[in-house]
Amino acid sequence: MSFNGKVLLVDDEPHIRKYVSVLLRTLGSPIIFEATNGREAVELFERERPDLTLLDVNMPVQDGLETLPLLLAIDPDAVIVMLTSLTTRQIVEEAAQHGATSYLRKDLPRDELAAALREIIATSFEPDADE
Amino acid sequence: MPPSEPTTFIDLSGRKILVVDDDRVNIRILHGILQTAGYVIAEADTGEKALELYQQFQPDLVLLDVVMPGINGFETCRELIRRYDVKAAPVIFITAKQESDDIVEGLNAGGVDYVPKPFRQKEVLARIRNHLAIRALIARQRSLVTQLSLANEAKNKFLGMAAHDLRNPLASIRGLAEFVLDGTFGPVNAEQTDAVDTIRQASQSMLDLVNELLDVATIEAGQLNLRLAPVRLAELIEKSVALNGMEAARKQTRILFDERDGDPVVALDAAKIRQVMDNLLSNAVKYSPPGSCVHVALRLSPGHCAVSVRDQGPGIPENERDKLFKDFGRLSAKPTGGEMSTGLGLAICRKIVEAHQGVIVAENLPGRGCEFRVTLPISPA
Repeated sequence: MSFNGKVLLVDDEPHIRKYVSVLLRTLGSPIIFEATNGREAVELFERERPDLTLLDVNMPVQDGLETLPLLLAIDPDAVIVMLTSLTTRQIVEEAAQHGATSYLRKDLPRDELAAALREIIATSFEPDADE
Repeated sequence: MPPSEPTTFIDLSGRKILVVDDDRVNIRILHGILQTAGYVIAEADTGEKALELYQQFQPDLVLLDVVMPGINGFETCRELIRRYDVKAAPVIFITAKQESDDIVEGLNAGGVDYVPKPFRQKEVLARIRNHLAIRALIARQRSLVTQLSLANEAKNKFLGMAAHDLRNPLASIRGLAEFVLDGTFGPVNAEQTDAVDTIRQASQSMLDLVNELLDVATIEAGQLNLRLAPVRLAELIEKSVALNGMEAARKQTRILFDERDGDPVVALDAAKIRQVMDNLLSNAVKYSPPGSCVHVALRLSPGHCAVSVRDQGPGIPENERDKLFKDFGRLSAKPTGGEMSTGLGLAICRKIVEAHQGVIVAENLPGRGCEFRVTLPISPA
């Protein structure tokens, strides 16, 4: 499987954006757009209409849970995956209620993180989209 | 030498004493003595009035006559304790009733002391001073305990926050180092590989420490919420053996799950018990001589199942036994392959096992090595 879609990567921490970008590039040749807070994310989302959005929860200016409904208002079918660290069940449930597709723990070991991402991509996109 | 000089280090002047006596003359005498000694005084001539006055005067001590019209001193004292419980001011009975039975009844009613009339001035003052000092010390202890528990709470919160904020950067460092080592960014020479691998290992050790600190903070804050579900214990053990077997292989050590008694399904928090298993196995490997063997056994007994991990390491020095399951209780034994140890692992294991109503013990084996055994209840349902 090779993933070549557009990805919007939203996280205020540069090391996470770097790490996750590298990880995404091992899965194919995605086009990655980066935002550092929710407000930037909404702007970029509107302009680029990404196939996949990875959205951090804790961010300055406008956090992930505030941003999520704004993105879904633009595109109700958007695939939005919350980036979390120590999963607090509450946040995951809240995000799911608001229509997030899934969540991803960015503190997982690399292989597990890659596997989780691969699975999200496999289940969210039709196999005929790439390959 | 005059014996009367008080030796207390607490300043008791200005403390408030409620004097209760139906005899005007007695009250006047006591008033004079106490005022001269620097106390603030309020007076009542019945138990009922004393109870009323207590509320607004908030005395530090009550001098209480026993025989009075209306409710007597013993009843007054019981009522004070009923109303104010441990916060009630100490009561000293001061009375002509001085049969042994009276004294016993007074002390049983909650009085802290009993002074027979006629009294000696110095003796009354000395007794009052001692009880005021005790009360002041108790108050001081209470506030210290409150402060300490607040400080401990703040520490746990800080620990949790710090650890939480360190996790993500550490995970990124580890992950990016792995990408470099993989050659994702291009070829790396042997020296670069060595350096980046050191970075990877160091970030892994820090992650382990941070995770354990987080566990401690969570557990200490009383937030260890178990998510119990039926789990096939043997399967859980097999997974842990497989994972730790890889690390063991680097030291030519083998982990053998070679004794099992059936396939019990146990209600437990799989992730937490897995953490315990991982910890016991990695410890066993850590302290085993290279080339040795770690044996894992699962045994059943009515109502219980026990998992034991036996190693061929140096065992636990008898004089360090009590440190084994405590926070930061690192012993003198050194890992045989230069591994890291935070000294938190077994403390966390104990807390997890105990949260499952289980028991964890360690004992030295005859000859060499030791055995860690976790016993968990199997609910009949």
